[in-house]
Amino acid sequence: MIVTNTETVAGYNIVAIRGLVQSNTVRAKHAGRDIAAGLKNIMGGELKGYTELLTESRREAMERMLAQAQQLGANAVVNVRFTTSAVTSGAAELYAYGTAVSVESAH
Amino acid sequence: MDGNVTIILIQLAAFVLPLVFFGLIIGRTVEKRHLRQLDEFDAAHRAFQVTQLKSFPMAASSQSPPAMVVAEVVIGSDYLKSWFAQWRNLFGGEVRSFQTLQARAKREAIARLTRASIEQGYNAMCNVRIESADVGGGTGGNSAKKMPMAAVIASATAYHACSAS
Repeated sequence: MIVTNTETVAGYNIVAIRGLVQSNTVRAKHAGRDIAAGLKNIMGGELKGYTELLTESRREAMERMLAQAQQLGANAVVNVRFTTSAVTSGAAELYAYGTAVSVESAH
Repeated sequence: MDGNVTIILIQLAAFVLPLVFFGLIIGRTVEKRHLRQLDEFDAAHRAFQVTQLKSFPMAASSQSPPAMVVAEVVIGSDYLKSWFAQWRNLFGGEVRSFQTLQARAKREAIARLTRASIEQGYNAMCNVRIESADVGGGTGGNSAKKMPMAAVIASATAYHACSAS
């Protein structure tokens, strides 16, 4: 599966549009991460726990999105976008969406 | 009565001063080190072509297809920065201490995108998109535990470019 955040794929032609694919996850961060982040907020630096949280959410959302694309018979997803929103303090939604297409090599 | 006030003030100072000290010494060190690492990374990867164009400038043909790379960064503030920002809140104006925080997060995100692209064997990336992320509670709302932080999620498409000559 070719995934890009551009509208086209270099070296490939889009031959069919399969439709919008989307997926979201809402993940809560555990208290341990909050405590670690609270301490880190005194000294500065990367809040690794929160970075991991974002990475996990993004991976999961993308996996589900790609599964949908596969079901539609697509072999590529283009123009992928992410947005996040806080549902409540302590939990964040990550939403991934893109356009499932079929591509063929231009050569 | 005056003695009580003095004791309270001393207790307050004993609590706040170490935090300011941590922010001043460790926070500054952490930030300086991070900026130095970013400078070194940028200097070492000058040849790697980064654009935020939607097309694929100078794309080379007959190679592996492009691939999306994604990076997340969450950087926390230090106590001193937060403290300065609170003061700034009284008078308004540019909050310098958070400006550098946000800038670091964004530069780090681009560095991570570059690293991920190089690991997968690409020599260029286009359509760099950086968005601020919400990890819940910290950045918005009226949460009592509001923690100042810069959270970004960045994406780009890595591809093979003809080497510029």
